[in-house]
Amino acid sequence: MPDATTLYLILPEITLAVFGMVILAVDLIWRERSRAALAWLTVLGFVIALATALLGWGWNMALFAQMYVVDTFAIFFKLLAAIAGILVTLVSLDYLRDRTPYRGEFLALFTFAVLAMMMMASSASLLMIYLSIEFLSYMSYLLTGFLREDKKSNEAAIKYFLYGAITSALMLYGLSLLYGISGSLNFADITATFAARNDVPTRIVALVSTALVIAGLGFKISLVPFHQWAPDTYEGAPTPVTAFLSVGPKAVGFAVLLRVLLTALPAFKNEWIALLTVISVLTMTLGNLVALRQKNVKRLLAYSSIAQAGYILIGLVSVNLNGASPFSGLNGVLIYLFAYLFTNLGAFTCVIAIENATGAVEIDDYKGLVKRAPFIAALFVIFFLSLAGIPPTAGFIGKFFVFGAALREGFLVLAAIGVINSVISVFYYFSVVRAAFFEAGKDTAPIRLAPPITFSLVVSAALVLVMAVYPEPFFNLAAWSMGMFGVAK
Amino acid sequence: MLDRYGVVALFAFMAVLFPAIPLVFSWIIRPKKPNKSKTTTYECGLEFEDFPEEAQQVWVQFRVQYFLYAIIFVVFDIEAVFLYPWAVAYNALGLYALVEMVLFLGILILALAYAWRKGLLEWA
Amino acid sequence: MTVHHFIILSAILFSIGAVGVLLRRNPLIMFMSIELMLNAVNLAFVGFSRFLQLVDGQVFVFLILTVAAAEVAVGLAIIVAIFRARDSVDVDEVSDLKG
Repeated sequence: MPDATTLYLILPEITLAVFGMVILAVDLIWRERSRAALAWLTVLGFVIALATALLGWGWNMALFAQMYVVDTFAIFFKLLAAIAGILVTLVSLDYLRDRTPYRGEFLALFTFAVLAMMMMASSASLLMIYLSIEFLSYMSYLLTGFLREDKKSNEAAIKYFLYGAITSALMLYGLSLLYGISGSLNFADITATFAARNDVPTRIVALVSTALVIAGLGFKISLVPFHQWAPDTYEGAPTPVTAFLSVGPKAVGFAVLLRVLLTALPAFKNEWIALLTVISVLTMTLGNLVALRQKNVKRLLAYSSIAQAGYILIGLVSVNLNGASPFSGLNGVLIYLFAYLFTNLGAFTCVIAIENATGAVEIDDYKGLVKRAPFIAALFVIFFLSLAGIPPTAGFIGKFFVFGAALREGFLVLAAIGVINSVISVFYYFSVVRAAFFEAGKDTAPIRLAPPITFSLVVSAALVLVMAVYPEPFFNLAAWSMGMFGVAK
Repeated sequence: MLDRYGVVALFAFMAVLFPAIPLVFSWIIRPKKPNKSKTTTYECGLEFEDFPEEAQQVWVQFRVQYFLYAIIFVVFDIEAVFLYPWAVAYNALGLYALVEMVLFLGILILALAYAWRKGLLEWA
Repeated sequence: MTVHHFIILSAILFSIGAVGVLLRRNPLIMFMSIELMLNAVNLAFVGFSRFLQLVDGQVFVFLILTVAAAEVAVGLAIIVAIFRARDSVDVDEVSDLKG
């Protein structure tokens, strides 16, 4: 029987589970009358989850037979999940109103998706990792294919589903090998086994299973070569879902990857660093080069988000928790993910605002945008500056810490490739800005913004700028969030 | 020793007897009007030459409700995977496991209520 | 019958499933191949669990079975939606989005 402390520490998860089911039930009972209220109920659920997640701050405990941990690292990602939940719910209101009658189901599935993200952040056994990843995946497939009558949405869903099912089977095979060789599902025991046994057969099996686990998580993070689903899925999915997929699963994918590599497989650090360095270079370069040729803004942002995953991976391979350097790699990843969350959600919110008004998602349709919607055009510049990593924006701070960690660890070539890629990315981000500012468009009707979208745009843009101008609280947040259960500081 | 094999023998006998009873019983009471379709070996459906005109019009796509029933069946079928071990170990698990199982079933009942309310349980 | 037999059989089944997914183009068949891969993993878990004399591998199998059922529900729902929208489920024909 779990004691009161356990229940207290999993309050955010309980909150979201209850809210998800209440939303479904309310939608069933009062179909027509409850629609506007349901979205606000969802937002309320995320706000309560955010507050209750903060209650667990400072605890460092393993629950449920060591399968589930609540530490500051997990809580950091729970905060990210709740914030992403609030912003995406706000921007999805108008988008869904014209496109589907099943908004209650959408909100319930979305609440469960955020719940799954929180569970991923806390998972500390092979079993919990598998269950929470699959939970998030199924919610994502359903949300991607949510516009049932829309062929593109269906196609996006089946591609996402097939890729996801294959990579999760690969990962599961890796987990079974890991269980067989170490005799436990628990991260602490796995570490102990590999510290004690270091013979060649053990190492070979462990390395194969590490590679398979990286394949499964690489799919969620959209790392090359497991990225092929991303452009099609991002283009076909309802745009608020695309916005969510580009930040949510990616962030918690990194959380699980970090936790597995640092708390279960530290014995193979040199091997996974070598593997992930190669993947990082491929991911950045391929993402950026293909993004240069894109005509559709959603596809462009898809390739951009693949490239961003490559940059974040630089921080992951440079992780070094010894010493008191401000560039531990881990804090770089956390700061980068925090900055990326607001930047990418902001950029997608701009896309959604324009799509709501005009239905257009091609770069050519953005011509003359500055005359029709000067506010959106200006925010686009801020978000794209941040994505490209140009000061004074949050993206610059993130890149600074990630590349700094690479330099500290002596990965000069990797850092140089990262910088070159950032320069390449400026070209395609500014192809959108050029169309919006310097080319004349046919249509000149002004674009109106709904209040919830304006709110989330202002919040995102403000945080992107504040992080750059006054970054100290965010450094501290990242530094505090490095407390991972089972890792000595 | 012998009585253990006796149990096995009794079990084998009952296993043969149970399917035999309905077969024999139906053979006794059913009307016997064989035709070509009825006497052919059943394999992946039937030919309908001897059937009346309206009965031949059955080569149709399955209704989509059939698929929905199948999905709901699979989901509720799998619930038994958790119910059986829980029932077997019930005495050792105590009150908390009962609470957990009630929660688990409650969530499934919400899903069933959803399907019901959406009209998935009505065939017509 | 040692644990090796189970693991080798599981590896063979997993490979058959993986090849099936890569070569077949009907989502339903791909789907069945994925189920074969999952069941190969189940076999590996049960084999390891018996070899290690630990029960948690078998618990894992229960949960994989459940998750696979959920996967079937989600996957078939998506396939049916595609079929309704375009009367074909061949993956090569489902290509409005350039990949």
